[in-house]
Order: sequence, then C-alpha cells, then structure tokens
Amino acid sequence: MTSSPIIILVLLGLLLLAVIFVIELYNKLVKLRNRFKNAYAQIDVQLKRRYDLIPNLVETAKAYLSHERGTLEAVVAARNTAASASVGAAATPGDPSAMKKLGGAESLLGGSLGRLFALSEAYPDLKANTTMLSLSEELASTENKVGFSRQAYNDAVMLYNTQREVFPSSLITSAFNFAAAELFVIEQAEQREPQKVSFA
Amino acid sequence: MDFFAHQAQARQHTTVLVVYFVIAIVCIIASVYIASAMIFHATQTQAPAGAVWTGFVLWDPQLFLYVVIGTLSVVLAGGLYKTLALSKGGSAVAEALGGRLLDIDSVNPDERKLRNVVEEMAIAAGVPMPKIYVLDNDAGINAFAAGHAPQDAAIGITGGGMRLLDRDELQGVIGHEFSHLLNGDMRINIRIMGVLFGIVCLAVIGRLLLYSRGGGGRGRNPMMFIGLALIVIGALGIFFGRLIQAALSRQRELLADASAVQFTRNPAGLSRALQKIGRVGSQIGSVHAAEANHMFFENGLSKPFIGWMATHPPLEQRIRAIDPSWTGTFDDTGATNNSDPSMKPNQEPL
Repeated sequence: MTSSPIIILVLLGLLLLAVIFVIELYNKLVKLRNRFKNAYAQIDVQLKRRYDLIPNLVETAKAYLSHERGTLEAVVAARNTAASASVGAAATPGDPSAMKKLGGAESLLGGSLGRLFALSEAYPDLKANTTMLSLSEELASTENKVGFSRQAYNDAVMLYNTQREVFPSSLITSAFNFAAAELFVIEQAEQREPQKVSFA
Repeated sequence: MDFFAHQAQARQHTTVLVVYFVIAIVCIIASVYIASAMIFHATQTQAPAGAVWTGFVLWDPQLFLYVVIGTLSVVLAGGLYKTLALSKGGSAVAEALGGRLLDIDSVNPDERKLRNVVEEMAIAAGVPMPKIYVLDNDAGINAFAAGHAPQDAAIGITGGGMRLLDRDELQGVIGHEFSHLLNGDMRINIRIMGVLFGIVCLAVIGRLLLYSRGGGGRGRNPMMFIGLALIVIGALGIFFGRLIQAALSRQRELLADASAVQFTRNPAGLSRALQKIGRVGSQIGSVHAAEANHMFFENGLSKPFIGWMATHPPLEQRIRAIDPSWTGTFDDTGATNNSDPSMKPNQEPL
C-alpha cells in the first residue's frame, strides 16, 4: 500500500521529463526555423537590388541595341516575373511551391541576362560605356551576394530539415506544424556558374 | 560550410596557446626563484666557513612568495599596459600603417570592385561590414585585418593588391582577412604581445638592477647578480615566447586560407592570388610593418625570418594546401604582368 504514492510520483516525474523534453525539441526547431527565415531575408535584400538594377541596365543598353528589341524585352519580362515570384517567396520563406517558382523565375532571368551580355560582346561602344561598366560591376557583385546568401540559406534549411526529420523530433513536427522547408535552387546548368558580366 | 567547427578549432588553439604561455610564465618564475635563492645563499654564507653549499637549502617560503608576487606583477602590469596600448580600434591601426579610408561612393572602378568584394565576403562570412582602407603607397600585393571587435574592425589592402588582383583573386584575399576577424585572431595576438612585453619589462628591470648598484657595492651585492639573472631569463623567455607566437600565427594563416576557400568555394582564386604575390611581392613600406606583420595576408617585411620565427607559412606550402595539383611555378599562364623576372621577390625560406 506504500508503493502506490511512489509509483504516482515516479509517473509524474516521467511525465514532467517528457514535457521538458518536448519543450526542448520545440524550441530547437523554432530556433532553426527562424535562422533560415532570417537567411532568406538576406537573399531578399539582394534580389530586390538586382531587380532595381536591371531596368537601368536595359535602359542603357537600349540606345546601342536598338535592333535587339526582342532580347531586351525578354530580360524585362523575366525580371518582372522573378520580382513578383520573390514577393511570394518573401512572404513564406521555405514554402516549397513559392521557392520552386522563384527558382524557376530566377533561372529564366539568368538565362536572358546571359543572352543580353553575350549579345553586347558584339557592340564595343556599349562595352566601353562607363555607365554600362559600373552597372555590370554592380550586377556582378549583387549576383555574388545572392549566391553567398543563398549558400547560407540552404545550409540553414538543411540544418532545420535534418532536425525536423531525425527521430525524437519527427514525432512532434506534425503536431506543431513544422513544415519541411525547400532549398533555393536555381536549376539551369549555366546558372551554376556566376554570370559572366565582366566587361574588363 | 560549417564555420562553427572552425571557430571551435580556433578556441582549441587558443587554449593550447594559453597553456603554453602559462607554462612559460611558471618556468620564468621558477628560474627567477632558483636564481635568487642561489645568489642569496651564496652571498650570505660566503664569508665565514669554507664555501660549501651546505645542503643546498633552496626552499625559502618567504623568498618564494616575494619572487612570485614580484615577477607576476611585473609581467602582468607590463602586459596590461601593452594590451591597452594595442587595443586601439582597427581604424587606428590602419591609419598608423598609412591607410586611406575608402570612400564608399567612389566611382573609381577598382575601388568600387574592392568595396563590392568586401561586401560579398561580409555576407559569406556572416560578419558585419568592416571599414575599408587602402595603402596607396605600397605597390606589392598584401592585405590586413585589424581591430579586436567586429564593431571597430578594419580591412586594408595595398594599392598594388587593389589594382593587380582580379575579382576572384580579390575575393580569396579578402575572405582570408575575414577569417581573421571572424576567429578573433586580433584579440589573441594582442594578448600574446602583451605578455611578451611583460617579459621584456622583466629584462629591463634586470638591467636597471645591474647598473644602479654598479658603483656603490663591491661585487658582493646580490642585487647585481639577480639583475644579471633577470636579463638572461628575460631573454630566454622572449625567445621562446616569440617561437610560440610565430607557430600560432602560421597556424592561423593556414586556417584563414582554408576559411577563405570555404567562403568563396573557389580555391583557384586564392591560389592565383598567392601565385601573383610570388611574382609581384608583398612588401609593406610603413615603419610600423614589423610590429603588425602577423596581421598581414603575407609576410610584409623585406628579409624573411628563419623558418621557426616566420609569421607566415611559405607561399609554396600555402598554395599546395589549397591546390595540390600546383606545378610549383609562380608564372601561371595568362598573367597580365609577367614583366621582368628580376622583380621576383624574396621567396620564403624552406
């Protein structure tokens, strides 16, 4: 008869331990989720800057590339699609459909910019234009910044997803609605390498 | 990828270093004690009976206490003084080296490129943006990081480095400097220099003792011998302290190279930058170059030290560590400035 209070105490203790354990896991997941969200915010800043630079670039190139209207329009269209996709991604960073959409739009934009720069190789006047030179330096740098912040974001997403999938925390992820996050991948093979926008 | 692991490694190095230095200081205290005990013993029991060192009563708690307190306070006071003197922000160091603060809105293409690359590396390293300085008077390729807290950090590059390096190479060099900032190498260095200065103080006190009593007493004054002992112990301490300092500095350079590759994911850029230094040189003209040599990207002094005293590993070793397939020649193809081989600088020893 003396054993029953002890059993109850032990059970209570175990329950308390279990609750503390769940709280720990929960907090860890929240911390990792915030880390990748913050990493995405860094990408977003650079993407915005890039979307701001592209119209200037097109405007400068227009004067020299009057016969290449199609290429220029493709760049502007791709830029607009990517800009609107980035708004969606910024609202829900890590959401699979938003990230895939942005990744696709960025790939298209990268491709059309690549064509524009390849084209401008044939126009020495354009290449020598100082506005064009400084714009392409800025664009190259922004491109790199997107790349480096994308690295940080993808690392953070990987840490979060791993923590989410490993055994004890995998039990609570669905209960507390920790959705899997999506990597930011820019699919096109030529996009893997940084854009060659050097005019030097 | 995982620069937390690098930081852990840096902390581990720091611990080893602190242990070495504590051992060095314990050795110094022990030597000072043994020397003074022997000197007092010899001078006091010398006159009367036969000068037998009776039983060698070296244990004298009172003297031991005095020696411990005296030595420690000299080293610590000297160290504190020097540490405070060195703890100027990164800007002060950069200006002392003759650096010019880069205008953020500069339209000069080279300066814009430099500013952009520093911004890129700040993102890659996850470190706040430091101030940027240019050493216009130095035509060689070199760079440095200064400042002991992220808030007052500065990164500087020589005029030659800014003009001669292309984007990828510049990224490697700047990434290397960011590693120094990220891993707190400045703090470590300042502390070592502080302790070394404390040991120098010990030797200076020894010299004072040696000369101040020189006229009065007649050789029997124990203080004179103690002064002599302090000079010898101080010299040995400085020598071994410098060895520890140099060994650590070389480790930090290799760590910084590895981190630069980690930030840029582009070993070729850093490797090409190092090879360019092999052709162009890395000399720093400032009179302050010697005391700041450990914070430069590559040895900035004209005469390389002997290997053990070098603050940087040989260029060859650094290039091989990043690029095992390197052929061993500095003149890689497609170099813009393959001007004259006579300009080939001092190659690192070993």
